[in-house]
Amino acid sequence: MSVYAAGIDIGSAFSKGVIFKNKQTLGFCCIPSGGDYRATAEKIKKELLSKTGLSSPAPIFTVATGLGAKMVGFADVIRTELSCHARGIITIFPSVRTVVDIGDSYSRALRIDEHGHLLKFLLSGKCAGGSARILKKIAKILQVKLEELGPLSLRSQKQVDFNTNCAVFAESEAVSRIAEGASKEDLLAGIHRALAAQVNNLAERVGIEKDYALVGGGAKDEGLVKAVELMNGFNLVVPSEPLLTAALGAAILAEEMAPA
Amino acid sequence: MAEEQKKNENQKRRTATKAASMIGPMVKELIAATHRAKAEGKKLAYTFISCHYEEIVRAMDVVPVWTENFAGICGAKRDAERFLSRAESLDFSRSLCSYALCGIGFDQWREDLGEMPPDPPWGGQGRPDMMLSSGQILCDPRNKWYQAAQQFMPDVPNYNFSIPWPLYDDDIELTEIEPYYIKYIVSELKGLIAFLETQTQKRMDYDRLGELVNLTERTWNMIWETYELRRAVPTPMDTGDAMNTMVPWAFMMATQESYNFFAELNRELKEKIARKEGVIKDEKYRLLWGGGLPAWFALKDFNYFNSKGAVFPVETTYRLIEPIYRLNIPDTNDPLERIAYRWFRYWTYMYDKAKKRPGSEPDVERLIQFIEDYKIDGVVMHEAFSCRTWHLGLIWQLSQLKKIYKPVPFLTIGPDGTKNVEHRELPTLILESDIIDINSYSEADTRNRIDAFIETLESIKKQREN
Amino acid sequence: MEEKQKGMWPLVEKYYQDYGSRARELKKDGIKFMGYICSFVPVEIIRAAGFVPFRIRGNVHEPITKGNTQLETIACPFMRSCFDLSFKGHYDFCEGVIIPHACDSMTRSYSVWKYSLGLPYSHFVNVPHTVNAASLQFFEAELNTFRKSLGRYAGKEINTAEIAQAITAYNQLRKKVKALYELRKTNPPLVSGTEMAKLLTVTAGLPVEEANLLCDQALDQLPQRTAPSDKKFPRILIDGACIDNIDLVQLVEESGASVVADDLCLGMRDFWPTTDVDQDPLKALSRRYLEKLNCPRTFRQSPGGSLSDDLQARFGDMGAHIKEFGVDGIIIYVYKYCDPFGFEVSARKAYLSSLGVSILYLEDEYSAGTIGRLRTRIQAFLEMMG
Repeated sequence: MSVYAAGIDIGSAFSKGVIFKNKQTLGFCCIPSGGDYRATAEKIKKELLSKTGLSSPAPIFTVATGLGAKMVGFADVIRTELSCHARGIITIFPSVRTVVDIGDSYSRALRIDEHGHLLKFLLSGKCAGGSARILKKIAKILQVKLEELGPLSLRSQKQVDFNTNCAVFAESEAVSRIAEGASKEDLLAGIHRALAAQVNNLAERVGIEKDYALVGGGAKDEGLVKAVELMNGFNLVVPSEPLLTAALGAAILAEEMAPA
Repeated sequence: MAEEQKKNENQKRRTATKAASMIGPMVKELIAATHRAKAEGKKLAYTFISCHYEEIVRAMDVVPVWTENFAGICGAKRDAERFLSRAESLDFSRSLCSYALCGIGFDQWREDLGEMPPDPPWGGQGRPDMMLSSGQILCDPRNKWYQAAQQFMPDVPNYNFSIPWPLYDDDIELTEIEPYYIKYIVSELKGLIAFLETQTQKRMDYDRLGELVNLTERTWNMIWETYELRRAVPTPMDTGDAMNTMVPWAFMMATQESYNFFAELNRELKEKIARKEGVIKDEKYRLLWGGGLPAWFALKDFNYFNSKGAVFPVETTYRLIEPIYRLNIPDTNDPLERIAYRWFRYWTYMYDKAKKRPGSEPDVERLIQFIEDYKIDGVVMHEAFSCRTWHLGLIWQLSQLKKIYKPVPFLTIGPDGTKNVEHRELPTLILESDIIDINSYSEADTRNRIDAFIETLESIKKQREN
Repeated sequence: MEEKQKGMWPLVEKYYQDYGSRARELKKDGIKFMGYICSFVPVEIIRAAGFVPFRIRGNVHEPITKGNTQLETIACPFMRSCFDLSFKGHYDFCEGVIIPHACDSMTRSYSVWKYSLGLPYSHFVNVPHTVNAASLQFFEAELNTFRKSLGRYAGKEINTAEIAQAITAYNQLRKKVKALYELRKTNPPLVSGTEMAKLLTVTAGLPVEEANLLCDQALDQLPQRTAPSDKKFPRILIDGACIDNIDLVQLVEESGASVVADDLCLGMRDFWPTTDVDQDPLKALSRRYLEKLNCPRTFRQSPGGSLSDDLQARFGDMGAHIKEFGVDGIIIYVYKYCDPFGFEVSARKAYLSSLGVSILYLEDEYSAGTIGRLRTRIQAFLEMMG
């Protein structure tokens, strides 16, 4: 009997888990990472187990990934989130060759082949420039929910340009724009354009080959997705659960690696 | 507690060669020697590496104090921050060359106290009697650093000699411009000698200068031949060690000790090769360190690469030499002309080769040469944010390399099942931090990038084997 | 205001807002343009070859985007903006680009400009760092190499008479600009710093004859102005590298000061030195660009040996302008990642404070957003000056 395979992705904002058997996803979960990654990993394991419907703990082969992968005490193997994203996305969309993961502390651009092998990658610079962090900060300043950012931005009427690339400075630039009287909608559209340019630069540097997918927390923001699409002049693909790609990839790798 | 942490971070990098493990004490002695010389009344001069004035300075019995070396030591000891922030408080932006900031912060502190700052790394940097700036075509700090430092030691004269070389341009014939470049460089070298003669109240001994030029040329050849031994599979020495063995190249050129060091390293590498002894047992990936100065506080990352089966048999950094016999220096007995030709022809050596490959450039051509000669699987570069000199243009070099050079065979299967072999570019990795400003560095982030890069190399290797 | 009184200002405004619009018009008539960056490119030679030299300009209002795929963000932000706009095709009427050896950001990015823009012509002008008889000779030879190279591209030999003609035209422009600066000496000045910044920026993208005409019109019109008000504002000099957008100057003037002088590339640094006409044109050009153009990238051996001699040799021209223009305060404005200027801030401050003027040092990126953040500091500086 084959074992269950789990992929656990501990990110700086959210931690994600996927449980997998015989190439089927049995369940997944996504919880805030909090300050104790070890405990978070255990919590995810428990929740995933409950989704297998088994009453007693079954043998699980786990691949851990993400910023906090080393904190997953029960991990059998650790892989970087880049390889995991690559495997995850190719399973969801076999036609994808370029991926950008817009995460909380980094964005990552990947070029992959038809087997989901990593060919080339680039990470955004430090200081969270080009990452989804700015979206969180802006939501806080404007006192709106994260999921409202996209719809608001799409209602923008007027172009507001946003100059800074660093998340910290961008925050203060946003405040000065508000002081100058820019509307929420226009301000958000400006931020989305600026972030889209940074995200797309990463993709251009690894070389854009279609299909082009966006994943990670930033991909849940339709305002940002639209901005990247406008920049390229074609549609992007976004999985229905964009946060889970790396965890899914990790689970797939786990099933391959698990001892028969 | 904090002390202990510092010590832990300071754990030594594991060296592959005996020669590299001797470098620490050598550098310490180099600095101690400057303090002894000062006490004996010899003249000390602040100097920059690779300005081709080593022979002149040594022939005049002036003792060089290598300011880049001292800043690097502060960085390697993770003790640069207090000097960097001191410079910042004097209105020097933290975005400027952090070697220079460290040096200026240290100098101003020393001048302020009238003695060395507390716990100076390895005894500190001695007060110079003069400073030798060099405006070239790269490295603005070589032109500005000592001028800025002079504000805090106004009695120390600063002499600037300008030694340009031409940038690569398709529409320029080197033979047409070389004469006026050589003439100017020689004149600037003469100006430097006149300045040193005034400072030391001594005349230049041109015979001795000629001997030191000979010695330097022999040392260049020896370094080249020695480093070329690293082509062996498995490679007996990698870039981690070369970041140590740069010391006798950069700070000891035109001395017999420098020559002897490389002769000894040559012997050691040959022995290792005979025993098939590599840097690591199971060499899986051979990488080129294709650009960027190292993060001096994180040299252990080279060991981390090694732990993943990766070695660096070659690097472009600190390999600013060519075998002299390839440079075709015209017959001349004038040591100044020989220095001038060596300078000009070293920098322009790759131009003809670059012209023959459309879209190429000398820097890219050098990458290709090393990739082929050393059987390279991937290229790694380091972007140090505070240094434009060696780090601007690296992104472009990689993208140009990708366009003109695709050595990796790749099997693709078309929709109808036909197999095709395509060629793709080598995988590349850019690390980001600084030469000595540790605030710019994250170990977790760096190692995450290295891990992902190794995974890329792994998947390419698998496909190659299929 | 009457149209007549407005004079050439609406045209200046148009060219400023749409920099390059005149070039696009003229290109339709077959006039050729050659792009360049930095004050170290001898525009006279470009002109003599039959091209209009077009100074490539950045835009603080346009975020740097595509350029970042080619060029590291550790480069000078001003140059990155220039490159970004060029890469996006804003200046595609230029047949080539000429870049001088001014600083690492330019030298190291030359290949990137050359290959990324894919222009038919490009050239790098090497400039030595020292000023002495040998370096002047070397530079003259290097200018001759440039002359021959550009001549080959233009399909003609650029002769001495043509260069001499171009020298005369550009000397005229510089003299006219100098005459315009005279109008800033009154208190309050007859022309605002913002207007001057706009005019000077615009001249760098026009044929020299048209630039001269604009200056002539300004010289006709401005003296007839009556001083805008009796109120006397603090008189400010801005010291820095290349400022080619009005935003900083405007911010200072909106905050209640008059910008009356500068030490900037699109200002006194470049417009003050003229080219000698009594000697061989290339020799004269090598003197103007190497010896007379005072930029921190060129090293001047200290004459007396003391620090105060050295500071006088390096910054004495600015000291004279401070006196001449009755300057009360200096804003030193330096871009992040600028090694040539960055290493001088401390010395500049030391020199300027010995003259007894107030000093504000600002380090900035190249963007309207970050300039806006300087407002409070500038206002506080002006308040402190009283």
